[in-house]
Amino acid sequence: MSANKISRRTVLRGLGASIALPFLPSLIPNTAAAKKFSQTGKAPQRFACLFMPNGVNPYHWSPEQVGTDFELSRILQPLTPVKDKLLIVGGLSNKNSFRTVEGHYTKTANFLTSMRITETVDSDVNAGGMSLDQVMAQHIGRNSLYPSLQYGIDRMRSGVCKSTGITKLYGSTISWPDPKQPCSLEIDPRMAFDRMFRNYVPGKKQVAEDPFKKSVLDIVHEDAKRLEKRMGIEDRSKMAEYLNSVRAIEKRLENQSSLEDFEAQITPDMRQELKKMDIRIDEWAEYTEGVDVTEKVRIMLDIIVLAFWSDASRIATLMLGNSASGRNFSFLEGVHDSHHAISHHKSDPRLLEQYARINTWHIEQYSYLLQKLNGIKEGNGTLLDNSMILFGSGLRDGMRHSPADLPIVVGGSGGGKLKTGLHHRYEERTPLANLYHTMLTAMDIPSNGFGDSTGELCELLV
Amino acid sequence: MNTLRKYFVLACLLVPFSMTFAADGEDGRHWRKVSKPILEKHCSSCHNAADKKGGIDFDDFYYIPSVVRRGDMWLKAIEMIETGEMPPPQKPRMAEHEKKALKDVVNKILDEALADPDPGASVMRRLSHREYSHTIKDLLDVDFNGQKFFPKEGSGGEGFDNSSGVLFMTPLLMERYYMAADSIIRKIQSDKKHWRQLVSTSYRPSILRRSINWIKGIFSEEVPRWAGPVSSARQVIVPFATKTYRGFLTQEEETGLIAFFDEIYFEKELWKKRDGFDQAMATIFKRILVSPAFLYRTEINQPIKKPYAISGLELATRLSYLLWSSMPDDTLIQVAYREDLHDPVVLNRETRRMMANPKFNRFAESFAPQWLGVEEAMKNPQADKELFPEFTGEVATAMRQEVIDYFKYVFNERENLLELLDSEYSMINGTLANHYGIEGIEGEEFRKVNVANYGRGGVLGMGAVLTATSLPVRTSPVLRGQWVLEQILGTPPAPPPPDVPTLEESEAADGELGLRAVLEMHRNSPACSGCHEKMDPIGFALENFDATGKWRNYYKGEVAIDAASVLPGGHEINGPAQLRRALARDKEKFAENMARKLVSYAMGRGIQFTDTPTIRAMKKSLLESNFNSKEVMLALVNSYPFRHRRSDVTDAYAKK
Repeated sequence: MSANKISRRTVLRGLGASIALPFLPSLIPNTAAAKKFSQTGKAPQRFACLFMPNGVNPYHWSPEQVGTDFELSRILQPLTPVKDKLLIVGGLSNKNSFRTVEGHYTKTANFLTSMRITETVDSDVNAGGMSLDQVMAQHIGRNSLYPSLQYGIDRMRSGVCKSTGITKLYGSTISWPDPKQPCSLEIDPRMAFDRMFRNYVPGKKQVAEDPFKKSVLDIVHEDAKRLEKRMGIEDRSKMAEYLNSVRAIEKRLENQSSLEDFEAQITPDMRQELKKMDIRIDEWAEYTEGVDVTEKVRIMLDIIVLAFWSDASRIATLMLGNSASGRNFSFLEGVHDSHHAISHHKSDPRLLEQYARINTWHIEQYSYLLQKLNGIKEGNGTLLDNSMILFGSGLRDGMRHSPADLPIVVGGSGGGKLKTGLHHRYEERTPLANLYHTMLTAMDIPSNGFGDSTGELCELLV
Repeated sequence: MNTLRKYFVLACLLVPFSMTFAADGEDGRHWRKVSKPILEKHCSSCHNAADKKGGIDFDDFYYIPSVVRRGDMWLKAIEMIETGEMPPPQKPRMAEHEKKALKDVVNKILDEALADPDPGASVMRRLSHREYSHTIKDLLDVDFNGQKFFPKEGSGGEGFDNSSGVLFMTPLLMERYYMAADSIIRKIQSDKKHWRQLVSTSYRPSILRRSINWIKGIFSEEVPRWAGPVSSARQVIVPFATKTYRGFLTQEEETGLIAFFDEIYFEKELWKKRDGFDQAMATIFKRILVSPAFLYRTEINQPIKKPYAISGLELATRLSYLLWSSMPDDTLIQVAYREDLHDPVVLNRETRRMMANPKFNRFAESFAPQWLGVEEAMKNPQADKELFPEFTGEVATAMRQEVIDYFKYVFNERENLLELLDSEYSMINGTLANHYGIEGIEGEEFRKVNVANYGRGGVLGMGAVLTATSLPVRTSPVLRGQWVLEQILGTPPAPPPPDVPTLEESEAADGELGLRAVLEMHRNSPACSGCHEKMDPIGFALENFDATGKWRNYYKGEVAIDAASVLPGGHEINGPAQLRRALARDKEKFAENMARKLVSYAMGRGIQFTDTPTIRAMKKSLLESNFNSKEVMLALVNSYPFRHRRSDVTDAYAKK
């Protein structure tokens, strides 16, 4: 069954969430990266994070039993096919989120930094630290063509929240390469796909790289240096952003060997997959843009799968919605209002029911990604085995805005480093950053800790 | 972070010793001597770096400039101390002499801060995506939709996308800038006539020159170079770069650009190609379009302590980006060069000229939807498609246009900003008239229509506002009330206390039907009543508009809508018209809010305590001129912050 057929059916039925699980790419060959690393016998590790806005229905999230013998909770049901590759961690808190009056935005920006954000409308935007994905990008993402990818589904929040004095951009971004600067979010599937794969789609007109691009980029450095001489301190830090950005492109242009490796791995099979994907994006744009959010999410997830598979990138984040997202989830059966409104359920059983259904939709998307990755062989295992795919929200119960006992799942073992098939509960208020520290260790990234971590979660390491 | 620290250290070394201490010195020591013991004794146990209650950390105010920066907060703190609200009842009382000492020292600092005019920090601004598009249009006559092409961005200050603090540069964006420059230049190249407007004559080496080069090439490895193409290139490059960089080129800049041409044309051997000169020029144009001198609006940072007037060209650039969201035109550049743009006569004349230009429409297009906060809701409408099948994308687009056209009309024709709140007309087209249930209006074009009989007029009758403040399936009186307080009056309610269920209306058994009863119950709770007493009555008065801004008399066609309510202070109103009139009477708040929005938009930053005199002056201008739109713009462009700059170096010691 091809991806295209699924997408048409999704459209026809106007549902999306209740369809059968999509194709498992059993014909997909070993990953490109696996070939590249077959000599060393060690496949690279990948990391992705899926962020869910507005918390969870607290009564249907945590599995009842802890340990290896546990039943998936209602919301986690869609993960059944990959249950033995999951690590469900309870009891973690993002402690720096407690110290803010604001309910959502400030608890989103620091989801992966575990530090306190600066409450500001614009002058000193600061997420307190580098985000986990960006630390990983610096280490294991460094040598791939795209050190990291940042995707989203919705336009970045505009406006400021005057009563709490913050810019709403805090609610639209979890990736911070620098405490003072968020990454740009790609929300257009066409652009996300074309950026990496356009030139490899059979039958598609190729875009030749500008032969003088490198010369141009070399020379604008001089402009920046010259301007810097007559600038103040703040302006210079802006200019540093510019220079870093130019350097990132130059690095990719210079990184000819990575490009050759990447190109060599685009097998004929993969080209066919790319072509299918290309058509699917066209179809989505033509028929269902703005209507079928499920298909949009799945396209973005599939682009991440393609990027990991081809080793174009090893690190990705995807925001399944901005914080306090008011997405109208009426396309789910029995749901009749916006995500944010429902998340303030006031213990009304009818709203709690709708809340659980919305949460389940998010887990379904997560499960789609895990199953796709698990369907791709890599070495002796699968692509999922070599990955750590984090799913979570900056809140637990949306009504309370509480960043304690956060809903957190990890899929994949990072190449056999993390235990899986496990539900482990920590003492209340164990820092979420302890998990991040543990993940860095699993990636052999040396660190003295991360964010506000107080140690590692040794129980989770193999 | 590290880079910044490095610069800070560097700046500290560079700033003369005397200067650093002149600004803080004796006064600074006095401030610390008086304030520190009191704050430590009474305040810092809650308001410290770790707990930061109420978002305040009293350890943060070592230097005087940091006190001034949060002057508004300090005024409020002093007030709360005087009324006994702080320290809280369970803590030891502050002695009278302590209160007085703290009050005196704070007031002295703040008074002095306002006595010396301060333009506030002006950090260079990257062009917003909107500004990029307009600048490309004016510079090259190419239509380019930057807002679609570039990654979406957030907003800052009072809620605008041109705020320097949130205009980041990222690798992805830089990549897109290169692609954008590439496609813009390609587009021009594909149209011969257009290209020749840019590069009037192409250079082709003569047969003689080619032969000479060929012969030279036999005997020498040296790259052939000759003057012809360079002087042709210079004639195009210098004026183009001057315009694009919005300033005269330095010698260094000019040399650099010509050297780059030299490299591309001679060393990369483009001269051998038939269209080599044009190709080289295309590359130079691209290079200019990705230069920071184009992508950022930079102003020279003078190493002097006192604020100083910016140069004529810098002022021209601020002016044109304020009024046109784009670069200055030739006339303005000429004026900046030949006359004194700081002269109020000249500045007013130019401002009036620019406000009469069609390009001034861009101000309304940018300012109005952002001020009202309807941008997001109209571009990504969430209204439920099953419940509101008639609310199509076309209707949403028309609603957005209504906001813009109405703002334009009020601003340009009526010149009375109070009509934004209260009037009897709106700007609608056939699509919108159909949605609003107004008969006899057909066709696509927007026109002025008297809508008083339909409960509309002013922004509160606009679909865009009414939809943006609703939930997908129903209206929310609370959200509408909150919106009026925040966007119109500039008095946002405090956020709901933690663990108190926020604006919970969902409890209502039948959605909208029982909403009023629930909210009234809600207001009985002391934790909620303070703010909900202000918000809810405003929302009730608008209940005749459904979640997509359509008029209705009944909920679900059966229960009559009650649009009567009592505003704080006992003012009774019934329905939208009376609400509008009541709001329009709150002139002071509206004027102050408008002034804040305009200053923030113009300066690309949030409002600071040191802007107080400017806000006051603009508020006065509004109140005294019957809210004249042109007058307040003149007041804005003549204001001190708009024409001045503070050296960034002197700000350094304020940051720890």
